[in-house]
Parts: sequence; structure tokens; C-alpha cells
Amino acid sequence: MPTRSGVDGLAVERAAGRPGVRWLFDADRPWAVNGGRVAALLVLFGLWELGAGRLFDIFYFSKPSLIVAQVGKEVVDPSFYRDLGVTSLELILGYASGGAAGIALGILLARWRYVAKICDPFLLALNSVPRIAVAPMLIVWFGIGIASKVFLAATLVFFITFFNTLSGIRGVDKALCDVVRVQGGSEWQIFTKVMLPHASAWILTGLKMSLPFALVGVILGEFLVSSKGLGFRLNSYATSYNTSGAITMILLMMLLMMALTAVADLVDARVMRWRPSDREAGGVAPKA
Amino acid sequence: MIAAPSAERAQLALDGVAKRFQARDRVVHALEATTLTVAGGEFVTLVGPSGCGKSTLLNIISGLTPASEGSVRLDGRAIAGVSRRVGYITQQDNLFPWRTLRDNVALPLELARVAPGERRDRADHWLARVGLEGFGDAYPHELSGGMRQRGSIVRTLIYEPPVILMDEPFGPLDAQTRIVLQDMLLSIWEGARSTIVFVTHDLTEAVALADRVLLMSARPGRIVRADRVDIPRPRNIFQIHEDPEFRRLYTEIWHDLRLQVQDANTLGR
Repeated sequence: MPTRSGVDGLAVERAAGRPGVRWLFDADRPWAVNGGRVAALLVLFGLWELGAGRLFDIFYFSKPSLIVAQVGKEVVDPSFYRDLGVTSLELILGYASGGAAGIALGILLARWRYVAKICDPFLLALNSVPRIAVAPMLIVWFGIGIASKVFLAATLVFFITFFNTLSGIRGVDKALCDVVRVQGGSEWQIFTKVMLPHASAWILTGLKMSLPFALVGVILGEFLVSSKGLGFRLNSYATSYNTSGAITMILLMMLLMMALTAVADLVDARVMRWRPSDREAGGVAPKA
Repeated sequence: MIAAPSAERAQLALDGVAKRFQARDRVVHALEATTLTVAGGEFVTLVGPSGCGKSTLLNIISGLTPASEGSVRLDGRAIAGVSRRVGYITQQDNLFPWRTLRDNVALPLELARVAPGERRDRADHWLARVGLEGFGDAYPHELSGGMRQRGSIVRTLIYEPPVILMDEPFGPLDAQTRIVLQDMLLSIWEGARSTIVFVTHDLTEAVALADRVLLMSARPGRIVRADRVDIPRPRNIFQIHEDPEFRRLYTEIWHDLRLQVQDANTLGR
């Protein structure tokens, strides 16, 4: 903060006061930034609350106080916990199975070049299929229970982690493999001491990127046909014009995703301590 | 057992070793048939213009690149492929970015399944010997180039291979760091006496370190000159340029090296 000397007390006070306003807009001060965020949120919700019924129709857009009331209703409703549980289960199963399969096949194909070359175009073709288009068939094949939702989420997660694992292992520096080779290391040791650690950054990035897509897959599956789950709940609120209920579900999904992403970031920061902070691991853009 | 210098002295012999590459429509001769014997415990430096096949020669001795012709023998026995008895230190430090300095240095012991406690002790011992005590837990990106290169050197010294190949290990470093590391290398080597083949394009370095300096020609590479350096050891690397024998050798070899460098440049490199 710049300080100025003044002859009289007033001049000093004014000089100190002016930069004081400037700190409020200082992008490098965390409290100034957080304060700005809270202010933005208050303005947004204030306009929403006050404008409801005047600027726009509450029937279509609800308002914050109604949403708070809706949250109060949800937390005492046992069916809400059942839906939350079902969606969480589908999410965990879909994410875990898709991620595990992607990593496993990525490692396998990275090691087995012949099969990889054969599979390359087929995998690209499969990944080019819009998942939404296959969703109705998944219902036909896997039924209306949780299996179809798990599978839909898994296919989205699978390709992202698969392509990242493959790139991670293929992109390994040959000179590092030679270090192990010269020191008498076996091919297996090259794999475990060089390739896997090198690929771990890519694999983690793939797992992080695919997290939101797992939720997309699950909710999409629930929209199509289901009798439980947060997607089902959102859909039934929306179709019965309970906008407060629907918006509450959307906000809940948002918070759920933010919490999961925060956990993933924590894991990433812990495992990737060795990485210089300015370096970013690459990733493959997914198609949903 | 930690400080025990490698007692084994290995004689390295190259017999008609040549290397050719197939480049699209023609054959490139990277290395002409080279015959060379390095005595056990001898420090040999190789100088020559860039692209003359010095690194190719080291790659062949290390076993990473197969020779087109000829054989490499260690104490009379032909070696095919890589051997744990031949260590290789490259210009790039090639430390693993995801390992701490200590775990990088202990890598060869880990590959040989040495127990973790002993790995740690030996790594810390070697780190201290090159002035890196206290940096064992740092990751490579947190260290300077000179520190990383010291790490790379002790990662090879720690498993005590009787033959050590060094490919311009001090190439990317600044002049002051270079001379400090040259001094460090000599004092360690004078205790352990491994057989060293050291590639450099810096003639001062080549004469200062070596028992014998070999000069290589422009591509296709072959050894065109060999000089014994009769400067007594231990040498004071910081003042070696004042030694008359050093000056005489430097001037003589430089005369020939200059011709090779000019040759290399007229060939379009």
C-alpha cells in the first residue's frame, strides 16, 4: 500500500482513504475477492427474490425463499434420501467401473501395440457415437433399473480415462526408460518404475475430467426411464410444474458435483506433489 | 560397507566396432571400425567435433545401441546388450520428476532389491559426498541444474559399476559449476578408480581430467590421435591451466582438433 506524507492531518487522512477504496478491488487480496463474490451472490439472489412476481412469474422461475422452504421439505422427506442414495450408488458404480476399465484397457493397449493399432479406428468410432442416442437402447438391454444408468455413466467415464491412460503411457520419455535399462532393470521394472508413475498424472487428469460426465450419464439415464433417483425426482417436479422443487434438485446436483470436484482436487494435489505448479498435465476433450 | 570403493577394475576393449545407419536412400557411416583398449582404472576422455559419433560410441559400449560390426569386451568377455557393470551418465540428468532426490539416487539399489533402510543410508551417504546433504527430500524441479547433475552422477556411483561412461555430463552447466563438479568427480574417482570413458567437446576438460585423451575425426568418426597426460595425481583442477605439460598438450591437440572441426563444418554440419 502506498503511503504519503502530508503537512496537515487532513491531507494524510485523505491520502490514506483513497487507496483504501482501491484495496476493495484488488485481485490479489483473497478477502477482497471473496467479499466481491458474496456481494455478487447477494445482489443476484436479492434481484431474484424482489423481482419475483414483479419482473417475472414466480410460477416459472420460483424464488429463493420458496427454494429455502422446499429444502426444508426435502430434508424431512424419506423419499428424498432414497433418491439421493440411488443416484449416489449409480454414480459410484458407473464412475468406478468406467474408470477402472479405461485405465486397464489403456495400459493393456499401450503395452500391446499390435492390438492397439487394430483397435484404434474402432475405439474412435465408438467414442464418436453420441451417448444420448444409445441411451434408449441401453434401457432395452439393461432394463429400467440401476444397471442402465450405471452403464451409461461408465461409457462416458471409460473413454476419457482410456485415452488419457494411453497418452500417458505412450508419452513416456524414452531416456528415463533407458536409465532403468542400463541399471539392469527388467521390462517389468521399466513399466512399474517409469511408465506407471509417468502416466499417473494423465490418469488422474482423466479421472478428474470424467467426474462431471459420470453425473451427466446417471441423470440422463434417470430422465429416460426410472422410478427413483435425483433425476427422476427432478423430472417429476418439472413435469408437475413444481419449479421450486426442480430448481432445488438442480442446485443440489451442482453442490454435489462441486463437492466431488473438490475431493478430486485434494487427491490430485496430494499425489502430484512432485509436479511443478505451473505445469499442467494434458488431457483429451470428451464427447458427451 | 558404505564407503567401500569399488575394488573391481575392469578392462574395456573395443574390437573393430562400427556403426551404420540406414537413412532413407543411403547408408550413413556414423562410426568407422574402432579398436580401443581402456585399462582397468583408466580415465579416458574423447574429444571431437559435434556429430562425430562420440555419443554413438558410448551408446554401443553401454549396450543400448547394437554395433553394426565388431565387439565390446569387458575383461575379455564379450558383452551383449546392457550390463549392470557398465554405468552411463548422460548430458541430461534424467532424474525422475516424481521421485525425491534421495529416491532418484537410490533407484539402482531399488532395482536390485536392496532393503529400504540400506538404500536410504547409502543414498544419504552419497548425497553428502557431493555436498547435497539436506536435499534428499527435494523434488528435481526444486533443484538447480548443477545439483540435479550431481544427483545424476551419484545415482550411477552408488551401485559402483566398474566401468562408467559419461556423455558431456557437465555440458549444460555454467563455467564455475563445471569446474567445481570436475574437481568433485576427480576426487571421488581417485579414491575408487573405476574405468571411465568421458565424452566432451571441451578440450580443457578433456586434458584436465584424463589419463589419456582420444581425438575423434569428423563423421565418419574414428580415433585419429591419442595422447597420454602425464600430469601427476591428485591434480589441482583449479590451477591445472598453469601446468606446462597441460599447456603443451592443449596446444598440440587443439591444432588437430581445429582441423577436424573445420572438416566437420565444410561437410555442412
